[in-house]
Amino acid sequence: MSDLELEIKSLIIETLNLEEIGPQDIDSAEPLFVEGLGLDSIDALELGMAIQKTYGLKFDPDKDDVKSHFASVRNLAQFVAAGTGKAASE
Amino acid sequence: MTFSPCAVIPSRNHYLGIELLVARLRAEGLPIIIVDDASSEPARSTLAQLDNEDDQISVIRNDVNRGKGGAVLRGIEAAVDRGFSHIVQIDADGQHDLEAVPALVDLARHNPDAVVSGVPVYRDGQAIGRRLARWLTHVWIWVETLSFQIRDAMCGFRVYPASAVLEVARDEPLGRWMDFDPEILVRLFWRGVPIAPLPVNVKYIEGNPSNFALIRDNWRITRMHFRLVFTMLARLPTILRNRPRRIRQTDDHWSEFEERGLYLGLRILAWIYQLLGKRICLAIMAPVVLYFYVSGGAQRRASEAYLRRIGQARGNPFRRLRLSSFKHFFHFAALSLDKFAAWTGDVSGETIVFEDLAAIDRLTERGEGVLALCSHQGNVELSRAMSRALHAGLVVNILVHTKHAARFNRLIQKFNPEAGVNVVQVTEVGPDTALDLKQRIERGEWVVIAADRTAIASAGHYSMAEFLGAPAPFPHGPFIIANLLKCPVYLLFCIREGARYRLYFEPFADQVRLARSNRINDLKALTRRFAQRLEHYCLLAPLQWGNFYDFWAVPSNEPENAKG
Repeated sequence: MSDLELEIKSLIIETLNLEEIGPQDIDSAEPLFVEGLGLDSIDALELGMAIQKTYGLKFDPDKDDVKSHFASVRNLAQFVAAGTGKAASE
Repeated sequence: MTFSPCAVIPSRNHYLGIELLVARLRAEGLPIIIVDDASSEPARSTLAQLDNEDDQISVIRNDVNRGKGGAVLRGIEAAVDRGFSHIVQIDADGQHDLEAVPALVDLARHNPDAVVSGVPVYRDGQAIGRRLARWLTHVWIWVETLSFQIRDAMCGFRVYPASAVLEVARDEPLGRWMDFDPEILVRLFWRGVPIAPLPVNVKYIEGNPSNFALIRDNWRITRMHFRLVFTMLARLPTILRNRPRRIRQTDDHWSEFEERGLYLGLRILAWIYQLLGKRICLAIMAPVVLYFYVSGGAQRRASEAYLRRIGQARGNPFRRLRLSSFKHFFHFAALSLDKFAAWTGDVSGETIVFEDLAAIDRLTERGEGVLALCSHQGNVELSRAMSRALHAGLVVNILVHTKHAARFNRLIQKFNPEAGVNVVQVTEVGPDTALDLKQRIERGEWVVIAADRTAIASAGHYSMAEFLGAPAPFPHGPFIIANLLKCPVYLLFCIREGARYRLYFEPFADQVRLARSNRINDLKALTRRFAQRLEHYCLLAPLQWGNFYDFWAVPSNEPENAKG
């Protein structure tokens, strides 16, 4: 697991108050929404806000495929890496 | 419909430049009928000499002056006798730009059932008196046709379907003088003839005498407008049934024109409002309200259904539901008028009474951002404007989910450039909108959002909550935003009380928290509580309800504009 992926998992847990699970319980490749972690659109908004705030990124619904960025932790990490220049994986 | 056009030129003592006019029309291939309306010399001989059967130019003479309308009608009759179907009407004084003739004829060819009506564009500007007279005419015509489709009724540069005009002339007492041009257009419109507007350049030619008799013709025109307004009211059902289709101009500058017209119309209304006061404005608006009442079947039914529920909820039904419903429409118009006051910033402290001002003061002192939930009960515009007036320097962000937002914003800006109001259009709140709003709240700004209407985009994001005795859909959106913003939530109602407004500002929640495990129930509870408060204010002032659609219907994918 890359540092960035771990960071994002912690961010998800912290933002959404997922107290009962730890970063190790989230599979980087598993879907975040509906199946998998079972997050919903309200969570997506909160998470989106947190990602924007933490990494200073902007989601542009016209340009970006926001839905696929949020599909999994791995996709989010790649999006953040592309936006900030951090390494997505090692 | 066949299309064989013929030009008709009525002339009374206009002969300067007429050869040029005739030559130009012939070059366009148009046969010509000139009607000499009892002109004296030298016009008479000059016109008579133009008669040339080989070149399809004929000159008819009225020995007695029968007015412009009389002359045009005579020309049309002659044209129909000769088998023509359409009449290109042009003034003889050369004020119309002949460059527009091909476009005029072309538009008529594509819309053979319509009147193509020139809309003058004045290059050299116009005297203020004339401009004012034109605007007055516009206002009359809007009322008479209950529509903005006729953009100019005075311009005598047109193409008519001949038979339609002769039918009107046969059935109606038409003005035969300068009142002919506007009257025939209105009456054709009433019969369902569409109006196709076309911009034309206009200039005044020196040397030709004006046949406009200032007092006599103005009196005729005024009398004609009164007659038309009363006829309109008497024949309203027929006129509404015959409403013609709208012919759209693809040309871009028309939308700009429309926008400008709208703004000017509002300006004039605001000006009349200040000059005459509210009572007279309402009297002027009465026929318009009547029109909306008569023509708006769905809105009327929605209004009656709502009032019936109010009657049940308060245990005291409206005895005459139809009359109450008309009053409901009228209140809506009155509230709209008050919007002008709100937009122009013309709201003095005396017209507003605050309920619990201390609570607001405490908030503004702390500089804390607030999410205010408003609704379409009472004067929503005024409550928006007032929330700004509460505290100098307070920035209020209004979330709306229609595309009218941009236009509304422009209007506010134009009326009152200092208004610290941002209108933010949101069809769907994404992460960046949410973050932006959160930053605004952190800066101590207010965010205002209506919590009574469900948006199309939010299909599924609503709960049914008990409202006036039956479950109605209430949107989740405002409470989801509240959950994101994590700031105090207040309710904002602005209810009219006689000549004044009372602003109610009540705390709703210190913070909205949607627990993950219990989210849907939390949302249900919040919408239920909001519905209860909304019901309270509806019972307080039943006729100030601004939702003229079936409020209790489960949302489908209906277009937003179906909502009143």
